[in-house]
This record gives sequence, structure tokens and C-alpha cells, in this order.
Amino acid sequence: MMYVFDRNGVCLLYREWNRPLRTLNAQQDHKLMFGLLFSLKSLTAKMDPTSAEKGNLGVPQLLGHGCSFHSFRTNTYKLSFMETPSGIKIILVTHPRTGDLRESLKYIYNLYFEYVVKNPLYNPGSPIRSELFNTTLDQYVRGIA
Amino acid sequence: MTESGLRSHRGDAWLQVAFRQRLFSMAAIYSLYIINKSGGLIYYKDYGSAGRMDTNDSLRVASLWHSMHAISQQLSPVEHCSGIELLQADTFDLHCYQSLTGTKFFVVCEPGTQHMEGLLKFIYELYTDYVLKNPFYEMEMPIRCELFDINLSQAVQKDRVALLGR
Repeated sequence: MMYVFDRNGVCLLYREWNRPLRTLNAQQDHKLMFGLLFSLKSLTAKMDPTSAEKGNLGVPQLLGHGCSFHSFRTNTYKLSFMETPSGIKIILVTHPRTGDLRESLKYIYNLYFEYVVKNPLYNPGSPIRSELFNTTLDQYVRGIA
Repeated sequence: MTESGLRSHRGDAWLQVAFRQRLFSMAAIYSLYIINKSGGLIYYKDYGSAGRMDTNDSLRVASLWHSMHAISQQLSPVEHCSGIELLQADTFDLHCYQSLTGTKFFVVCEPGTQHMEGLLKFIYELYTDYVLKNPFYEMEMPIRCELFDINLSQAVQKDRVALLGR
């Protein structure tokens, strides 16, 4: 599965290639996912054992400030996460044994940049409906899977 | 022993001490949390992270982790998900072990630290031996057992020595 969120928590893109279990409807699922990432980020920022100045738990932070995270793993899936300086969040949910996907996330961000941001008809903050982006993404994800 | 020989010998000894101190100050494990099945913090120990958290913050962090753990189970694309086992942040790794009764043990350690699952299971063993079998311990309440403290610090120390042996 893959999600793309913008900095306001709007789900710009949701794709799924294989998802046997679906407990919630799509909108609830996106909200829950964004909430999880947001809270995990404030948790890691607070927990960061290498810096002394962390502020209070849940205090709003500038993008790129504070300790973030890049993945977590459960017994059934692994979630890789990347946040760009503009606040775009790219999330990949994969099999728990997949390795480090940070490079793939960067590559996907590049695709997003090339085919979505550079598209003059695209309105920032609206769901992505670029045919070219979708097909290239599909090809790439099937390549790494 | 000549004077120059003595000096170099002393220098060596000092270097060794400095090296050892550097290794020991380089904590592999930053902190350990134990939370009960309703998300309350029942044990927290810090092993040298910068900017130690106060009691309120550690309680908040513990209950936040409890909820995040539960939400991650809901978002699973496959059935029978048991929650986050490993969270990889930029500056630390968080390993979590949940026992069958819902008590969660989690350690914050340096990125890439190995064999944390083993350590967590061992801490769980210590918990069953020295906390649950303690007749004065009330379930789901903060842990104040001397034997548990002693054995735990030994286990963590041993783990550090084992890491030094690499």
C-alpha cells in the first residue's frame, strides 16, 4: 500500500496493490494513518535521547526540526515513512522483511516532483490524478516488490 | 625500569582507561520502560540519555506509545497484527515486546543495536520471577522491588559488556 499526504493531512494519493484486510472505510483509514504518523513524530521528538532541549510533548515543530523516524515494523507489515521539507509525507506499507526503503521513497518523491508538481494543470493540495505518474509509479513499485 | 619506559607505560595505562571510559559512557541502551495493560507506566529507568525526562513526561510518553501500538494494529493490511515491534527513528531504535497478558516492555537504544529481542525476553523473565512472584506486589502498580532492580541492572550491564566484546 502507499499513501501520500500533504502538510495539512489531506490524502493526495492512496494506492493499494495487495490488501487482504480492510477494517475501516477509506476516509477513516487515511485519518487514522495520518494521526498515527503525527503522534509518532511527536513521540520520537520527545524521546530523542541525544538532545537535551526537546520542549514539551506534542509541541508544534518546524518541518525538519526535531527527531523524526523513517520506519517501523510489526509482525505483519513494515511501514516506511519520508517527510519532505515542504511537508509532503510519503508512506509505503510493505512485507515486514523488506529492507531499507529510504532510497525508494526518494525515488517516488522524484516521480511526484517530475510528473505532478511540474504539471501546470495540477492544483497543489488536490488529489493526484496524473495518468503518467500512476503508470510510472506502478512500474517502479512492481519492480521493487 | 628507565624513566622513559615508565612514562610510556603510564601513557599506555591512561590511554586504556580513557578508552574504557569512552566505551562505557557510550550507552548502547538509553532507557527502559514497562507499561501495564492499560497504558500506565509501571517502571522507568534511564541509562544516560541527554536531557532526562521528568515523571510527567515519561508517563505521557508511555501512554502515547500504548495508543500508537493499538492504532498500528488497526492499520494492518493483514490479519493477526500484534503491534509495533521496532521503531527506527533518526537517532534511536525502539524495541517493544508485548507479553501475552498485555504488559509491554520497551527499550530505547542506539540505532542498529542487535539482540534486543533477547534482552527484552530476559527482562520479562526477571519481571515474572522478581515482581510477579513477590507477594507484596500489587498487580498493575508501579514496580518497587529491590531484587528486580539489582538483577535488571546486572542484565543491562552484562549486555553492555557483551556489546563491548564485539
